[in-house]
Amino acid sequence: MKKVLFLVAALVVLVCVSAASADVVNVVIAFSQIGQESDWRTANTDDLKSAIENHPGWKLVYDDGQQKQENQIKALRNFITQDVNYILFTGVVSTGWDEVLKEVNEAEIPLLLVDRIPDCADKIDYVAAFGGDFVEEGRRQVAWAGEYLKKIGKGDVDVNVVIMEGTTGASAQTGRTEGNLKALKEYPHLKLVGQQSGNFTRAEGQAVMESWLKSIDKIDVLIAQNDDMALGAIDAIKAAGKVPGKDIIIVGCDSVKAAFDAIVAGEMNCTVECTPLYAEFVVPAIEALERGEKFSKRVIHPEEGVFDMDGGIDLGTVKSVKAADVIATRRY
Amino acid sequence: MRKNALSGLMQSKVTWAVIAELLILLVCFVIRPDFFSISYQPSTGMLYGSLIDIINRSAEITIISMGMTLVIALGGTDLSVGALVAVAGAIALKFLRWDVLTYTTPGDYTVYPYVLVLVVPLVVCALMGLFNGFLVAKGGIQPIIATLILMVCGRGVAQILTDGKQFTTGYSPFRVIGQGSFLYLPMPIIITIIVVVAVALFTRKTAFGAFVESVGVNRSASRLSGIKAGTVILIVFMITGLLSGIAGLIYSSRIMSNDSNNAGLNFEMDAILAVVIGGTNMAGGRFSLAGTVIGSLIIRTIVTFVYYFGIVSEATMAFKALIIAVVIVLQSEPVREYFARRARRSEAA
Repeated sequence: MKKVLFLVAALVVLVCVSAASADVVNVVIAFSQIGQESDWRTANTDDLKSAIENHPGWKLVYDDGQQKQENQIKALRNFITQDVNYILFTGVVSTGWDEVLKEVNEAEIPLLLVDRIPDCADKIDYVAAFGGDFVEEGRRQVAWAGEYLKKIGKGDVDVNVVIMEGTTGASAQTGRTEGNLKALKEYPHLKLVGQQSGNFTRAEGQAVMESWLKSIDKIDVLIAQNDDMALGAIDAIKAAGKVPGKDIIIVGCDSVKAAFDAIVAGEMNCTVECTPLYAEFVVPAIEALERGEKFSKRVIHPEEGVFDMDGGIDLGTVKSVKAADVIATRRY
Repeated sequence: MRKNALSGLMQSKVTWAVIAELLILLVCFVIRPDFFSISYQPSTGMLYGSLIDIINRSAEITIISMGMTLVIALGGTDLSVGALVAVAGAIALKFLRWDVLTYTTPGDYTVYPYVLVLVVPLVVCALMGLFNGFLVAKGGIQPIIATLILMVCGRGVAQILTDGKQFTTGYSPFRVIGQGSFLYLPMPIIITIIVVVAVALFTRKTAFGAFVESVGVNRSASRLSGIKAGTVILIVFMITGLLSGIAGLIYSSRIMSNDSNNAGLNFEMDAILAVVIGGTNMAGGRFSLAGTVIGSLIIRTIVTFVYYFGIVSEATMAFKALIIAVVIVLQSEPVREYFARRARRSEAA
């Protein structure tokens, strides 16, 4: 009899302990990510993943789209069948999401748009949107080059500018190109002599720069729409016997760690920040939504900086910061 | 015999591949004669010019398509080559950096001995190729299906190896593979020449090439005539895996990092295209390694053309497709037959 009682007591204790230790999941958050195209994307993924996974009561369902739209569409449909509570979504391209996002709406799953806002955003329902201001980033890139040239006393000299674009059709590419071109009008001495896609990758950035150095007589400024392409271009510039950062002014975008290293080493001049650290906006937003609060449909932009070799260049909306001063605190 | 030389030449697909390449280069020459300028670059100790770029940047596809030529001669295709490029890069960078949380900054060092950085990726890729060959030869699975497995999961393996991160390195001996030079030429060109010569010698100086063609035409007949068809298939797929590994090392050395999502992306398509433009029939049988090299050069010439002449990025894809369509039409049976007939007539006259 005693034995039986003991066993029952032990069982009860065991059940209680296991119930207490097992996480009670009450919110399932699904995240359809583009893939692992760059260090930036990795930081973005890691930041959101760890914040959601470590949040008590939350469970993350993560899907890597491997840079293919069809994979992401499939993932979104899977999320609908799994009946998750929230969907975080970043689209690899800006168009072609209408149908699947309407299905998400029909399933009444709250949708949060992160980073790249699709073109159809005004036709679908979403509860909140967080994204970089790509047009502003593009403007800052060109404005930095223009202001820097003024600072070193070359403000009245005509200089040749090339723009290395990202993956054609990605919202970061269309937005930054728009910003680049708009700002070029404000600096009439910056002459656009080349424009080509480097697909946001190092290898293609290298190959495009390699060809440009042969087809364009004089390149003074390279505007690369992400740091990876800029880093690839640096190798090509060296191979052509020129000095990156001096013979050719290089302005990147994203502010990844490798770009900071290159700026501190004097091989790159500037990087315009596009922060991947969205968790600090997204997590409180989901908490607020859980409490029943609502957000407007306006895209919420994170605050971002501009980092360069010496700092102190005024771009109107922001003043550049010396990269060497903040490199130690960078998380990506 | 000599009388039919011209018409015979007109009927060869390789001739038309060469003509197509020359035509594209002619267009380049007409637009910008300095496209052909080649100079010596003292800072790198290398020759410098667009033609060098074309050969240099076609290295990965040329190397892979040497293996692909043999696979296609067997009547198959290998879809996994692009994924193996990513795998090789990921393994190499894994041994160079091992754990980016411990060794936080990339520099001129390697965590594990350099020999492992080079040998392990090649061995793993060769084994993956052998796995493909095993499925085809012993499992009787169609090559396109068998290699689809590694095409899909290869990139996944590459991602897992580096925790989905892009590792970068500054190890100078590793830089030599993709950015170094030998005899005034970029190292990838040297590696390509070695690979092409090695594959050519192996297939043409031994009976192996004939075995491949024989198995490609009729597997059962060649088995009955004493050729071990299974072994031939295993060797061919293993070679292709190994060559993909070499291409992967070149790719990752060029950018001094692994890029598991973009490394080798669509390389299988480019390699198949190079082989087909080069005149090897997809149905198997006779193959032409020289034709494949020309095919690979054509593909890269188009890409360089796009960059050099600043074709707007939106139109790039359509432009490439257009040129390739023209090349393929030039090589089609009726067109070749037409020119061969004309050549015969002029010879007769």
